[in-house]
Amino acid sequence: MSSYEIDGALWSRVRNAIAFLLLIGVAASVAGAVTEPERFYRSYLVGFLHPTSILLGALFFVMVMHITGSVWSITVRRFHENLIGALPLVAVALVPVVLGIHHLYEWSHAEEVAHDTLLRGKAAWLNPQGFTIRAFIYVAIWSFFALRLVHHSTAQDSTRSIDNTRSLKKYAAPGLFLGFISVSLASFDWVMSLAPHWYSTMFGVYFYAGGGWASFATLVLICLAFRSAGMLRREINVEHYHDLGKWMFALTVFWTYIAFCQYLLIWYANLPEETIWFRNRFVGGWAPMSVALLFGHFFIPFLVLLPRASKRNLKLLRAAALWFLAMHYLDLYWMVMPTFYKDGPSFHWLDLAPLVAVGSLYALGFWMRLKKHAIMAVGDLRLEQALEHHNL
Amino acid sequence: METAQITPFAAIAEFDTPGALVQAAEKVRKAGYSKTDALTPFPVHGIDEALGIPRSHLGYIVLCIGMMGTAAALLLQWWTGAVDYPLVIGGKPLFAFEFSIPVTFELTVLFSSFAAVFGMLALNGLPRFYHPLDNARMTRRVSDDRFVLVIDKSDPKFHPVETIGFLRSLNPISTELVED
Repeated sequence: MSSYEIDGALWSRVRNAIAFLLLIGVAASVAGAVTEPERFYRSYLVGFLHPTSILLGALFFVMVMHITGSVWSITVRRFHENLIGALPLVAVALVPVVLGIHHLYEWSHAEEVAHDTLLRGKAAWLNPQGFTIRAFIYVAIWSFFALRLVHHSTAQDSTRSIDNTRSLKKYAAPGLFLGFISVSLASFDWVMSLAPHWYSTMFGVYFYAGGGWASFATLVLICLAFRSAGMLRREINVEHYHDLGKWMFALTVFWTYIAFCQYLLIWYANLPEETIWFRNRFVGGWAPMSVALLFGHFFIPFLVLLPRASKRNLKLLRAAALWFLAMHYLDLYWMVMPTFYKDGPSFHWLDLAPLVAVGSLYALGFWMRLKKHAIMAVGDLRLEQALEHHNL
Repeated sequence: METAQITPFAAIAEFDTPGALVQAAEKVRKAGYSKTDALTPFPVHGIDEALGIPRSHLGYIVLCIGMMGTAAALLLQWWTGAVDYPLVIGGKPLFAFEFSIPVTFELTVLFSSFAAVFGMLALNGLPRFYHPLDNARMTRRVSDDRFVLVIDKSDPKFHPVETIGFLRSLNPISTELVED
């Protein structure tokens, strides 16, 4: 048991490093918010969505593993549990989005809505009060399920009772249902409503698929970091990485499937208010980024992760995971920014500051939790079976 | 006893636990036998490595035939829609990647799954109505609770008497020389 606790000195060193990054990120963000508020809020939205969607992907993963009774994932589960433990912090990270509502969302201006029939029709949903209240309700739903899942799993470390496994299953079922609906609605509110005349009912799944994709990349990077520090080398072995690689591969295909379905339906119907969203991204300065996403988010990961050998090659898996995180950022950038910069991408130093600030805020939440419990779900009754996991 | 007169097909030995089978298989591989097989009632972890059985080539076959499916679907849609019988439908182009993806995807999956099923059968030499191992008395229990190790006669080290003697040294429940 004691061998599954993190070394105190190492823990403090990393905590200090994350806290330092958080300070820099927050200081730079505040400076940006004062000097260039317009640009800051736009960059902040992307920087906020990237780590937040990763936490939500982790929530999905934990619940799916409980509901399917998956055994192999028990050795890696605690890392994702520590990640979803950071979900209440989304309420803090949301504050600048709410403050910047008038910089970001066209529908938040009463005078715009007044002479726009479509926006008047949508005003019952798209209004600043509703947006704010809903945002915190979403976070409350995610936090509730996340904390219950973490609670029962960590309690099992000492109780070693099957009842905890049963409770986890009971929370996972409604959690998946409510989680999918709330993440869908959150993506409508936060991202899709940037172009309030445009709509796609699949948008929520598209957003979530990308988040799940990046959350597996994050998990692989966390596991490999612990491996290089000499921890969990036997517990998370090549068989477990192979399965994580399979998930990364599967979600690559799933993201593409959803992205393409969304595009195909709009292409087929050819309605001006729907096609404009893709026109803004396929014609002009944003076209190269659309092509980059097609290759970087689908073809390259698909072909690289297709062979069995590459899913069992830890160096390659690490490179793929870093690539995934970069591509997920590009995907979110591509969803948000063309609404504001129609001519093409204009990268800015302020894009980086909020990403570092929010990312290290969640990382700190993750890291503080890591110290409280064993770094692996040591109480799970199927742990032995998970350790012996073997791909045929 | 007329063992000297029969044409042998394989030497086999039976064990009563998967652990004993894997241990014996390790020794068989280390003794230099390569044309080997194991008959078990359920998949046994580690038996492929213990016997040194290489990974199947099926994946590559599926990939190649799957990509043929991709090409066939694109050609089919392009040739029928844009070349042989061009007809404008709903103001859409005669051929476009957008609308051809679903059919392309489906045909890729269809070709791949056919390649997987029939390729698996072909690589296993199936279907067949008779197999010499059916002659063996002990193989009747491999679908229940016995684990059988097979050394084929095509193995360069195979010798009807010595191989049986070697198998006996692995402490099996029993050994048998199977007739062809």
